[in-house]
Amino acid sequence: MASVSSARESLSHALNNRFLPNLEYLLQGSILDSAVEHLMHRLKGLCDNVDTSPETFHDLEVCMSLRQPNSNQPLLLRVRRALGRDAPFQMRYLGQPEVDQRRPTLVRSCMDCACTNGILEFLTEMGFRLEFEYIAKGYMFRKGRMKITVSKLIKIIPGKQQDMANEPISQSYIVELSVVAPTGQENVGEEMRVFAEQLKPLVQLDKIDYKRLGSMP
Amino acid sequence: MGVTVLQPYPMPEGKSGAHIIDYLGKRLLSLGATHAGQFLVDCETFISTPQPHNGTPGRAVHVLHNSEYPASTFSIIDSGTGKQVSLVADSIFDLLMLKMTNTFTSKKQTKIESRGARFEYGDFVIKLGSVTMMEHFKGILIEIEYKSCMILAYCWEMIREMLQGFLNINVGKDFPTYFATQTIMTAMGQQQLHAKHNDLYEPTDTVKQYLEQFTNYRKHVSMHGSLSGTSGIQQPVHMSSSPVMGAAGGLVLIRS
Repeated sequence: MASVSSARESLSHALNNRFLPNLEYLLQGSILDSAVEHLMHRLKGLCDNVDTSPETFHDLEVCMSLRQPNSNQPLLLRVRRALGRDAPFQMRYLGQPEVDQRRPTLVRSCMDCACTNGILEFLTEMGFRLEFEYIAKGYMFRKGRMKITVSKLIKIIPGKQQDMANEPISQSYIVELSVVAPTGQENVGEEMRVFAEQLKPLVQLDKIDYKRLGSMP
Repeated sequence: MGVTVLQPYPMPEGKSGAHIIDYLGKRLLSLGATHAGQFLVDCETFISTPQPHNGTPGRAVHVLHNSEYPASTFSIIDSGTGKQVSLVADSIFDLLMLKMTNTFTSKKQTKIESRGARFEYGDFVIKLGSVTMMEHFKGILIEIEYKSCMILAYCWEMIREMLQGFLNINVGKDFPTYFATQTIMTAMGQQQLHAKHNDLYEPTDTVKQYLEQFTNYRKHVSMHGSLSGTSGIQQPVHMSSSPVMGAAGGLVLIRS
């Protein structure tokens, strides 16, 4: 009888045969509150899941960091929790973004992991510290394997009830177009570029270079 | 899924592990159980280096897998202060652990697993596991699950009877130690008696019982190691490579 393969074996099998989605292709942009209705109409016309009203989400994202010896960069993990419904917590690791001029999108390594609700306590025990947190509230659309989110980022004011302190970070919505795919699927970027073209001139989706943003005040 | 009890099988003198497993398997089959595949539970421990300058104690993260839940990774963290926090996550969590190798190093020498045959008999699932650490045989763990009940207190007698009957070993009347009543701290910081045998059973409970037993096997090795240890450098007894003892010893220090 065939013996059971260990979890580590099946994981490396998935990695080697390239069916573990571990790269995120991303384009980002923003749109003013006053114009977001137009974008929503355009997306409803273009996307797949629009038979009913677009899917909404209301998530709290907590970013935790771990200082690592022999490394300047702390390890960041983002934990998301749905505020409106009962769903597993989502933990996400994002690697350093790679802004290659020849590629139409930003590419970074990405690992998504659903976990039980003890995750924040678990990370704290591991030595992780809170880096920042915010609430994202908005709509999610799908087009094939592409995911489009239109969301409002909301500041969390410490000491106040979350619902009472709904203070948006800006007067605009952030628009993100992303695909998480296994390594070696280069045509994803092109597919996304074509879709982003269709949203112009309402929103200009671009690859944002975080390293350059970091030096800004 | 139902209540599961993990029971170490006392090894009789002069018998090999394979012989006992064979005997128990035959006994189960002749009593009417059917063979239903294989199983594997493994455990790897990651240790963080203590950082005395900012008061961070050394921590141990135990990462376990159970073939009964193939898409999940179970992890239990020992903070060094006796507090345990457990987590169930997608199996991709293993890759995340590898991202932390600067802080948490895997103690490969203490990688331990229990693997063997799985039997079904009516509502019971019985697993005969031989425990190995670094390819060295350590002992036999018998897992018995009663699928139709979620609370141990209601079905312990039946499980106990089953264990005694099938495996011809004597099992005490008391609840297994894992389910014993213990003092816990409430969220308000008060001490309270908690009867674990009345809790709804969860897959994490199975994994925690394995961790408890695995830790015992590891301790056993380190005890032997310290008895025969010569001048600071401990000599392994049942093992081939010497760093093993240091690693296992470290583990025990952190847990106690």
